[in-house]
Amino acid sequence: MSFLEVFQYTRQDSVIHRLDPRAKLFMSIVLAAVSLLFLSIIPLLIIFICLVPIIGAAKSLRRWTRSMKGLSVLLIFIMIFNTLLSTQPNPFSHSVALTLRLVALMTSFSVFFLTVHPDELSQALIQMRVRYEFAFAMSMAMRYVPTLGQEAYAIMDAQKARGVELDKGSLLKRIRNIVPIIVPLIIVSIRRALSIAESMESRGFGSSEKRTYMNVLKFRKRDWAVVIISLFVLIFVVYVRLFVQLPTWMLWQIPV
Amino acid sequence: MTLIEFADFSFKYLGADSLALRKVNLKIEEGEYVVVTGPSGCGKTTLCRAINGLVPQFHRGYIAGNVIVDGKNTRENNVADLAPIAGLVFQQPENQLVTLNVEREIAFGPENLGVEPNEVRRRVEELIDMLDLEHLREKHPHEMSGGEQQRVAIAATLALKPKVLVADEPTSNLDPQSAETILDLIADLNNRDMTVVLVEHRLDLVSKDASRIVLIDKGSIVADGAPRDVLTMDLCQEIGVGIPKATQLYKRLQERGFELGKVPLTGAELATLVQEVTKG
Amino acid sequence: MILLEDVYFAYDGLYTALQGVSLQIDDGERIAIMGSNGAGKTTLVKHLNGLLRPDRGRVILDGVDTKHYSVAELAIQIGLVMQNPDHQLFLDSVEKEIIFSLENLGSSKEEAKERCEQTLNSLGLEGLSERSPFTLSGGERKRVALASVLATEPRVLSLDEPTIGQDARQKEKLAKMLRGLNEKGKAVIVVTHDIEFVIENFPRTVAMANGRIVADGPTNSVLSNNDVLSRCSLTRPQLTETARSLHSIFPEVPERLTLMDDLEKVVVKVLGGG
Repeated sequence: MSFLEVFQYTRQDSVIHRLDPRAKLFMSIVLAAVSLLFLSIIPLLIIFICLVPIIGAAKSLRRWTRSMKGLSVLLIFIMIFNTLLSTQPNPFSHSVALTLRLVALMTSFSVFFLTVHPDELSQALIQMRVRYEFAFAMSMAMRYVPTLGQEAYAIMDAQKARGVELDKGSLLKRIRNIVPIIVPLIIVSIRRALSIAESMESRGFGSSEKRTYMNVLKFRKRDWAVVIISLFVLIFVVYVRLFVQLPTWMLWQIPV
Repeated sequence: MTLIEFADFSFKYLGADSLALRKVNLKIEEGEYVVVTGPSGCGKTTLCRAINGLVPQFHRGYIAGNVIVDGKNTRENNVADLAPIAGLVFQQPENQLVTLNVEREIAFGPENLGVEPNEVRRRVEELIDMLDLEHLREKHPHEMSGGEQQRVAIAATLALKPKVLVADEPTSNLDPQSAETILDLIADLNNRDMTVVLVEHRLDLVSKDASRIVLIDKGSIVADGAPRDVLTMDLCQEIGVGIPKATQLYKRLQERGFELGKVPLTGAELATLVQEVTKG
Repeated sequence: MILLEDVYFAYDGLYTALQGVSLQIDDGERIAIMGSNGAGKTTLVKHLNGLLRPDRGRVILDGVDTKHYSVAELAIQIGLVMQNPDHQLFLDSVEKEIIFSLENLGSSKEEAKERCEQTLNSLGLEGLSERSPFTLSGGERKRVALASVLATEPRVLSLDEPTIGQDARQKEKLAKMLRGLNEKGKAVIVVTHDIEFVIENFPRTVAMANGRIVADGPTNSVLSNNDVLSRCSLTRPQLTETARSLHSIFPEVPERLTLMDDLEKVVVKVLGGG
């Protein structure tokens, strides 16, 4: 699961980190769209090579390489699978291209997730007119996930200490043994939710439509620059894809 | 000035068999430090929640009588309108920190009430400074100890600039050292003119700072007065409330015929009193 | 009876929780384990019933290494009541909860019913057997969780922070119940921060800090030792504070008193003499 590392926020200070999350969202979407427009190896390689410096600018190259290493087994598997099932004239070349595209897609989105703090994402959604309650529910979920995890372990310990054997017995028995874990977990979560609600209500949550925000996201020149450049890149690539005949060397395939 | 007034206040939770509070009459003046205590289930938690309106707005049930807080009737005002008057701190630190870092947590209350962003920022900085939270500024609740979490919870409550801080057993889930630190903080806030209503079992730690102790049993107030008067009542033992050991010792000595003059609340006070008796 | 031999344990191989802990617990002992958060108290207790297994060192029960037993097998002899009762209550009646524990550990249905009744009576929970645990108060739920472990009559009963949220009367009842168990020959181990509770009810205290045992001996001497108190982040018991204050004025008063009766005698002497 270490490949998920590339979608985890890292607390760092880089050029990319300092951009407005909305600009980064747009950039990531454009990068992903561009990756999706091609199915030939060379163009995808070019796109890939352009992505790497962006990851580097986000000071996350090491993390990204680690993730890619963790992913390599899966990638090889995908390549083999696609080669065997492909109906294209050059199956191997095709599957290499597909794998490259997958990596490019992942990297495009990882730029966003690596550099956007969950709170920033929440604020971005709010400023993009998502209802406050939904955005907040999302960040609260992230806030309490580790707590819930700990609670689950504590419950397992408590039941094991009463003689509940979680890892023995027939499949049916093991499924039934989930009940003593799930029921307390649900109850404890409900109790916790009520307690949290009391605290939130006591601090005025949900009272006013005119809620203010201390950290407001403001687009700066560099954010506009990123958006405009991304837009141009998108337009350019779409144009090339639709109207320009790609030179033969770009359509090179791996010789069979 | 009377800040909180309970007038013949009764409350029964929906589905409960008996009244949680029965015809409670209580007045709390500005600047007081009132400690509320009593056996489990006596109604002290309900009392706290009645001050900021959670009872009856959040916890519905049968209600009679009134609670007036800074001129506002809790039956007629939203919890949100009462929040800038009465701030509530609860027992579980974990359930009071709902955001991913301290700054946002402190900003949460004022933001909810539409306070202007620059003012919110100002309050955040003020409270981080006042409560020594600088080293915790960017931390996730999971990265903090219980004592630190509770400190942040208090800061988050103070961000609304309440006139009274109501704390319902804030130290029950903390280790003794953290508990003392939090109670010292509360005493300090009271010294700076914050009215405090504190529910606490550890009377040895708070009675020296409290201006008044209120005993509740089965929903009714059974004693209300200065700590030195209330803690020497036999009633305390009868209802199962633990008094400071120094006060216990004082009572035992009294039974043996030794009179120390004043009622001690701490070991140091007792020692001084013994010294005075032996001199004179 | 139970022996921890130089036990080392680290969570996830990273976070060292126990560093060379050795401890002997005999039948019928009453032991308190104290220390700051993170000292390793709960980790230690979880090694007794096999929830955690040592990375190095051994846990030996009656001469046999516990690694040969599963947690369920150990649970028959070593009961552990965790801090939060809601972590184990999941059935719709108090009776069913207790019978669940009993049946897990091998009781027959009839045996289980009888023991259930007995246990409920001993904890003052008679009359609640049909109630759903979820409708009970916090204190009552704590007692139900305790009952479900007590009913199985383990040789050793360990409790993790049993006094949190309990008022003075409930603590007295708990103390009485634990003493009663002790008189029947059961060993009782309590992990707690409540120093007054320990002084009044537990003759032996094990004080821990940073995964090591700092002191292990008679409660009175362990908990009046300033060095131990500061290393384990423990606050001084109220009476010891009083004794210290008195000592600074009347040097004949011993500094290290912990019991009310002792302190009373000493003060009477000072006053009677003065």
